[in-house]
Amino acid sequence: MDLFGTYMLNLSRVVLIALAIAILVRCLRSMLREHYDPEVWGYIRVGKEKLPIKHWENIIGRSKAADIRIDDTGVRRVHAVLVRDDKGAWRIQDVFGRGKLWVNRGYVCSASAELRDGDVINLNGVCMRLQDLPLEKREDLEKKRIGVGKNLSPALTLFELTVFQLFLLLQHALSAKPNALPMIALGFGTLIVLEWSCYNAMRIIGRLGYEVETLAFFLSTIGMSVAASSTPNDLYKQVLLLIASVALFLFHGWWLRDLRRSARMRIPVALFALLLLAVNVGFSEAVLGAKNWLEIGGYSFQPSELVKVAFVYVGSSTLDRLYRSRNLISFIAFSAICVVALALIGDFGTALVFFVTFLTISYMRSGSIGTVLLAISAAGLAGFLAVSVKPYIAQRFSSWGHVWEDVYDKGYQQTRAMSAAASGGLIGKGAGSGWLKGIFAANTDMVFAMTCEELGLILALCMVFAVLLLAFFAVRSARQGRSAFYAIAACATMSMMLVQMGLNIFGSLDILPFTGVTFPFVSRGGSSLLASWMMMAYLKGADNRREASFAVRPVNKLRSAQPPAKVNQHNEGAKKA
Amino acid sequence: MRKLTNRAVSVLIIAALVIIGLNLYILRYIDEGREWAMAFSNLNTDSTGDLMDRNGVVLASLDERGVHFNSDETIRVSNYHVTGDAWGRTSTGLMVNYWGRLQDFSLITGSTNSRTASLTLNIDSRINRAAYYALAGRKGAVLMCNYKTGELLCMVSTPAMDPIDVSAIPEDGAFINRCLSASFTPGSVFKLITAAAVIENIPNIDELSFYCEGEYKVAGVPIICSGEHYTQTFEQALSNSCNVAFSQLAIRLGQDKLLRYVKNLGFVDPQKLDGIPTASGSFPTEFIGDPELGWAGIGQSTDMICPYSLLRFVCAVGNGGVLCEPKLVSDGKEPVKSRYLQESTADKLKQMMAYNAANHYQGSLNFPGLALCAKTGTAELGDGTSHAWFTGFLDDEEHPYAFVVFIERGGGGLSQAGPVANSVLQTAVHG
Repeated sequence: MDLFGTYMLNLSRVVLIALAIAILVRCLRSMLREHYDPEVWGYIRVGKEKLPIKHWENIIGRSKAADIRIDDTGVRRVHAVLVRDDKGAWRIQDVFGRGKLWVNRGYVCSASAELRDGDVINLNGVCMRLQDLPLEKREDLEKKRIGVGKNLSPALTLFELTVFQLFLLLQHALSAKPNALPMIALGFGTLIVLEWSCYNAMRIIGRLGYEVETLAFFLSTIGMSVAASSTPNDLYKQVLLLIASVALFLFHGWWLRDLRRSARMRIPVALFALLLLAVNVGFSEAVLGAKNWLEIGGYSFQPSELVKVAFVYVGSSTLDRLYRSRNLISFIAFSAICVVALALIGDFGTALVFFVTFLTISYMRSGSIGTVLLAISAAGLAGFLAVSVKPYIAQRFSSWGHVWEDVYDKGYQQTRAMSAAASGGLIGKGAGSGWLKGIFAANTDMVFAMTCEELGLILALCMVFAVLLLAFFAVRSARQGRSAFYAIAACATMSMMLVQMGLNIFGSLDILPFTGVTFPFVSRGGSSLLASWMMMAYLKGADNRREASFAVRPVNKLRSAQPPAKVNQHNEGAKKA
Repeated sequence: MRKLTNRAVSVLIIAALVIIGLNLYILRYIDEGREWAMAFSNLNTDSTGDLMDRNGVVLASLDERGVHFNSDETIRVSNYHVTGDAWGRTSTGLMVNYWGRLQDFSLITGSTNSRTASLTLNIDSRINRAAYYALAGRKGAVLMCNYKTGELLCMVSTPAMDPIDVSAIPEDGAFINRCLSASFTPGSVFKLITAAAVIENIPNIDELSFYCEGEYKVAGVPIICSGEHYTQTFEQALSNSCNVAFSQLAIRLGQDKLLRYVKNLGFVDPQKLDGIPTASGSFPTEFIGDPELGWAGIGQSTDMICPYSLLRFVCAVGNGGVLCEPKLVSDGKEPVKSRYLQESTADKLKQMMAYNAANHYQGSLNFPGLALCAKTGTAELGDGTSHAWFTGFLDDEEHPYAFVVFIERGGGGLSQAGPVANSVLQTAVHG
């Protein structure tokens, strides 16, 4: 490389690291540091107290964990669930169905009762009144909430990302073959066009929360770099898939806007997922041990990736339904089928990802550590049985921790990954200048090492922190979520991604057994990219900061059932008068 | 909702595990990153450099396009286990063990490029070639070392391969360096070790005499000798390689004492040649009883030694009991010296080995012009075949060479390994 090239390489190294950190810090501040007010949908009046109703699904009880806390010994710790739907209709239900709930003197047994503004709720003798907020009031309140992006402009963050992409392209220009360069430029160009048109579309519909998309585009940028470095001739596939991914992300987010529709479709989605897995078990081809590839018309894809999206969907549930059907049996059965099918396919890594996600979901739904421990011991027993019946399964993991003792065979990939990762140092050898890409599965299973080698450890860590940031954001959003459905979906999504990322990174570095799962967004491969983007819609669904997410219906679009309720109230008022 | 979202802490637990894992990796990277980057398989280097033998013959060189080997095929093949190949298939090859010396590493920039680093070996590729030819297609190992300086002049293991021939089907065991990475039944060369222990522990050994009529019984178990040697002194017993005499001596020493010598002289634990670990050997450690101890004392039973350990032994004997650790790479430093045997023991052994060579191996006939001190070994393997060993050194101020020749299932020590030793020594002395 000539002097100019060396200079440009060093310059781009510094700029890339600085920009990546800047992007992460800006997203971190706006996602986690800024204060956001909760939405308020109405009030519960108890005596002189006026308790805000902050969610669509609320637990009324004496417990500290109750959403509407009534500190009166007559009220049970978890007494009733107060639910509001998309249309603005309120319902209340006795959690344990023991008949300690009356509405307007009407006895509510196990079924739920409709509620209207001004209705009296009697919880075992403690009376309270529901005060619904009419649209105009809610709009007023909404205007007082701090909006997203007030202090940190999302456009500036996106601009930083664009500069990041241009400098990454520059690094590729220094190392790529001349005939591959136009394609690489097209790849990065597509990213820039996509992220800005997506941003503008959001602005037009008045949505300003763009951190999730920015981080997803940041990760996709590194993924594009990995693809450009390892398979420059196939880059058009990556570009097309990226466009499809973003489109599906938008569709999925739009779909999630309607809670009732989303919740109703859980069973069809579950059936679809099972069908995909059945096709997978039946027809797929084995690629190095795992039969997780399905080839359709020259394009191969991994059905298990799409099943991930469905799995989270099926696992999510609204709060009232959670208390209505208190057992998890149907979900446990669904999960067990998924995990067993994946184990049959030989994709143990993905099976483990599903299992941990199952644990997160079932813990969130049941709150019972006993259930989780039971599931873990059952899985451990199943694993033990599988290993004792088919010892070759254990052999696949036999090199774990000893890879340097067998650098030619079992430890081949991991030792190559580690020496390539180390040789990149903190700043990397430059995009496209590594050698690990020549090793099988470098751009999927060993993508962390490949990033370390080419872009350096700091950028590789930035990539991990982007995912961690999304996870923290999911937890934070869940607390203010309208419905448990979105909260569970967001948390399940991020635990799935975290586990997957952990297995990917630590498997290739011999800290965990090498199972060969993908790094969300970054690993080359269409199905993984599609699934990662689609799952981001769950995060958008849970994000109800003011005017932040396109996947959340804004307050002024939520009206419908309001007028009839008002009419009824008038009638009743008239009677009383 | 709050009840449920409080449980979202499970996501944070997973995140914490990921963070712990990352920290673990970073610590490992700081600790072992250099080693990883120095692994031979790491191609992130633009370093250029040559790997040369002691005469400046380039065995392999490294440039931007990769590794290149000497253009002469016999040089390439005879030095295969010294250089290794670009795939690192022989664990002792310098491509594996010294790749790191051709590059630099820092935690911040990773592997750094553009360094010229050449490596000169003590190996003489001419001697290697002579040894390779002398082995003539048999499986075996030849080691030769200057016992006064520790320079390792010759290291050949067969079968070998051409490092540039990707498609060659490797012969069985071609990747194993028999000089360093394997241990074999020693047979009679082990009597040197027993003799060393005898000299230091039985003060009146020269006054004793041993009677051999070809076989005797220990506790009813026969110990068979190669011939009938009748009455003989200790010196004569070694040159006769008398099993009867040496098994009696081993039994008299006792298992513990003999084991201590075998261990202290480095025949059990792995040694290191310039950092390259060698194979470990074995000697019975559990109580085995007199008959088996008799066999163990003459290098049979479950005895195994690595040819490299034997080289260290003969080097020390040749150098008056002081061992100059053999060195593969020439770095201009003084040899590492250590007291290996008492001087008197070494001198006594030297005298006996000189007597052997002169009187029993027809030194002037088989090894013309060489001041040879040597011992043969023919290790019975119980299936009718035997390993051929020939080891010793030249008692010659100008040519202080110690050597080990080993031929796997090669037959008689003197008849098979002897000529190989002669041809290697002649090349070393006369060029």
